[in-house]
Amino acid sequence: MYTPRLNWIFLILFGMAAIGVFVAALLIPPFRAAAYAPLRELLLPPPAPVTVTVLYSTEKQAWLEEVVPAFEQSGANVNGHPIQIELEKMGSWEVINAVLDRKRQPVLISPASMLQIAALQDTSTIQFGRSLVNPADTAHCRAVLRTPLVLVAWKERADTLWGQQPGASLWRDLHDALINPQGWAAYGQPDWGYVKFGHSDPLKSNSGYMTILLMTYGYYGKTSGLTAADILNDSAYQQWFLEIESGIGQFEHSTGPLMQKVIAYGPSTYDFVAVYESTAIEQAENAVGRYGELRVYYPPATLWSDHPFCILDAEWVTTDQKKAAQAFLDYLVSKPAQEIALLQYGYRPVDTSIPLEQPGSPFDRYAANGFRADLSFLPEVQVPPGSALNTLRDFWARNVSR
Amino acid sequence: MKRIFFSIVIILSLALSACGPLQGMLPGQSVTVSIVYGSEKKEWLEPLVEQFNAEGNKTASGKLIVVESTPMGSIEPVRGILEGTLQPTVWSPASSVYLPLANAEWRKQHGSDLVTGNPNDLVLSPVVIAMWRPMAQALGWPDKALGWADIATLATSEEGWSAYGHPEWGKFKFGHTHPGYSNSGIVSIIAETYAATQKQRGLTETDLEDPQVREFMAAVEKSIIHYGTSTGFFAERMFERGPSYLSAAVVYENLIVAQEAKRLSGQSSQIPVVAIYPKEGTFWTNNPYVVLNAPWVTDEQREAAGIFEAFLLDRPQQLKALEYGFRPADLSIPLSAPLDSQHGIDITQPKTILEIPDAAVINKIETLWRESKKPVDLMVVMDISGSMQGEKITTARASLLEFIKKLDDRDRLGIILFSSEISTLTPLSPLGEKRQKVLDSVSGIFEQGDTRLYDATLTAYQDLTANGDPNHIRAIVVLSDGEDTASAQSLDEVMTQINASAGEGGNAIKIFTIAFGDGADEDILKQIAEPTGGKQYNSSPENIQKIYDEIATFF
Repeated sequence: MYTPRLNWIFLILFGMAAIGVFVAALLIPPFRAAAYAPLRELLLPPPAPVTVTVLYSTEKQAWLEEVVPAFEQSGANVNGHPIQIELEKMGSWEVINAVLDRKRQPVLISPASMLQIAALQDTSTIQFGRSLVNPADTAHCRAVLRTPLVLVAWKERADTLWGQQPGASLWRDLHDALINPQGWAAYGQPDWGYVKFGHSDPLKSNSGYMTILLMTYGYYGKTSGLTAADILNDSAYQQWFLEIESGIGQFEHSTGPLMQKVIAYGPSTYDFVAVYESTAIEQAENAVGRYGELRVYYPPATLWSDHPFCILDAEWVTTDQKKAAQAFLDYLVSKPAQEIALLQYGYRPVDTSIPLEQPGSPFDRYAANGFRADLSFLPEVQVPPGSALNTLRDFWARNVSR
Repeated sequence: MKRIFFSIVIILSLALSACGPLQGMLPGQSVTVSIVYGSEKKEWLEPLVEQFNAEGNKTASGKLIVVESTPMGSIEPVRGILEGTLQPTVWSPASSVYLPLANAEWRKQHGSDLVTGNPNDLVLSPVVIAMWRPMAQALGWPDKALGWADIATLATSEEGWSAYGHPEWGKFKFGHTHPGYSNSGIVSIIAETYAATQKQRGLTETDLEDPQVREFMAAVEKSIIHYGTSTGFFAERMFERGPSYLSAAVVYENLIVAQEAKRLSGQSSQIPVVAIYPKEGTFWTNNPYVVLNAPWVTDEQREAAGIFEAFLLDRPQQLKALEYGFRPADLSIPLSAPLDSQHGIDITQPKTILEIPDAAVINKIETLWRESKKPVDLMVVMDISGSMQGEKITTARASLLEFIKKLDDRDRLGIILFSSEISTLTPLSPLGEKRQKVLDSVSGIFEQGDTRLYDATLTAYQDLTANGDPNHIRAIVVLSDGEDTASAQSLDEVMTQINASAGEGGNAIKIFTIAFGDGADEDILKQIAEPTGGKQYNSSPENIQKIYDEIATFF
């Protein structure tokens, strides 16, 4: 038996529940996200997110895709507006070109190296009358991860060619192995065909760019004082350089895809590649499931990439976006993100308080593959002046690019 | 008043808190992604298309994504796409080899690139030679590394398999697809050229001028029983019909895995097949997912295509790819069963690849192939009975003319017309000497009388048996629009005579039958074609040209 009064009680309770849901959704964002109601969204839209678009070099993909959701869900916001990170990956030079060509208008850029930032600073000043980046200002431009350039090979093949550690003439030795018309038959393995080397496209990617620079320094047996004349005036050098490049079938647009091809196609396609130490570490385990162990060689002198993240000083970047980007940068150099970078992806953190040799560290796990935490023995080559760098790039573009 | 006030407040808050997605429930809100792809991926891809569609995936704006998929030979779609008659959203050929060529052609017409960005690989599989295990063992497998040089030796040997102690296997019978239509076909002739020059890279047009190259290619091609449009088709044929049909064929590794899985589960009673990874080097198929940069592809379709791509590259779908014998693009998946020796596979292979030559060299290799490939001895048997009048006879004539244009001068063609009478339009002889005459005669064909299908077929068969060269591809194409009404011989008598001489397995004369229009008896035409290794087609004036195109790829 029911009375109108009971009806009223139920109706009011239900109504209060509905009002309760409505109010709760307005006050508590996660509740709002769970209790999606189209009409409410129309009348009272949630605070618009501040979107930070990031153009970055491909080898950072796995690390960024892991740390970005954690950052977004940490409740980071600018004046109550949640921060949304939009990632787009490409080769390091492709990042710079996209910004200069106005094809993209990102808030943050992260090529692999300060070399690209320096080039952007120069070119944008000439093109637009002011620089789009300010690398000297750490509030706007920060190095986030460090990694050296190395040679990576399939262990079985590398051991047949070199054994433990090639000497100071690594680049010359590599050249000789590559042009040998007998190929692997000279080492008793005719079924392996030619000795095959690869690096990424120097015009699109930083690692390829660094590789041809190291090759050139290696030819001359020096680690500093490279000039445009070294590249233009010595025909023996040019021939040597072009002989190496002619054996490379294809130049991948960025380091990440190059390493992926190494693992996917195995030693049939690449015996040796020049990539970042971190890229090789990232794939070391996958390699075993595919074609075997990897072997890393540190060249006699190397170049370090410190993966700068720079907030662009451009008219399309709002103040809110700048603040959001700064919050994101703070997060990237914070301990949790830096530890993930080391333990999961083999980067050397810029936070030097994080020990490289700790349980679970890749330098521990993959020591047998030649990876070493302490690289104090390894000199870095001097970055030559802009004229030499540009000459080298032009030489490659004119004689090799396909 | 109070009641009304309260009611309004309650109803309003109910409405405002009413949960549920509004988007996508309105009808007509869907976006179609059409994908044209190399048929060797069919077994893996088709169930995934169904699964994806059933899941009700949506774009960011809430539109329902519907995927439509069409398998084809890898190169087939290129012509259609360039002409604009085929307008897919996504193209996934077996290999990235074509993309620069397709781009170059497209740029001529449109001034922009058809393929932009860096397409991802979906799944990987190396090109291999599939061979029946006892035959491979007779050649020294697995201890001896085998390759194209061994194929060439076998192909030119008059003794065939008896040189290896197995006269019961007869001659060496080989197959690969037509280079104009299929990736494995073009890869085969490039590999043959490398083997002939004993090079693995740096192939130049000058290299191809060495007469030894032509000789080597002709030697290998001598053992071909026929060509075809798709690699998947070849594998199917070989595994259905057994060692008497084909000793070996150029296929992709995944197709061997599929067959061996069938054998191990009892679904196929064939003897084991193994993958031979040519010692001179081979090529990879990487099945790139290409979202076309074409005027008919909208931004919404591009977005939807990206969602489908992410689905295909996701781990569960990649694990499925491994089940079907592919090497997954997802690198975290190790190579394991069924990629193992039980299935005839060696995952440490291939040891080396061959460099892809540039477009000019590839074109020259194709020309060289046309000049050294196995010629065909072809009898066309055409129904010109009264019922063929009107559109039928017109299109039958026109498509036969187009078909004749696809044949080379070295091919031999004979044409028999049948109605109440059987007459020879032109006897079996090389086309080079009589091409224009034949084209003129075909243009003059007209219809009349009854249908003596069986007698005409038998006449053609006897003709080819007597005058055909067993070292050529021998085939008969029969086109009919009706049932036999007037033959002296019965179907049984005709088939008995045909089967009696069909002892040569793969080298037997193949009959292709075209059922033209509704009145044709498909069953009878099937009975004529299939036992010989040929195929029956249902045709109409609309698709007859396409049928002839496909038959042409056998040669």
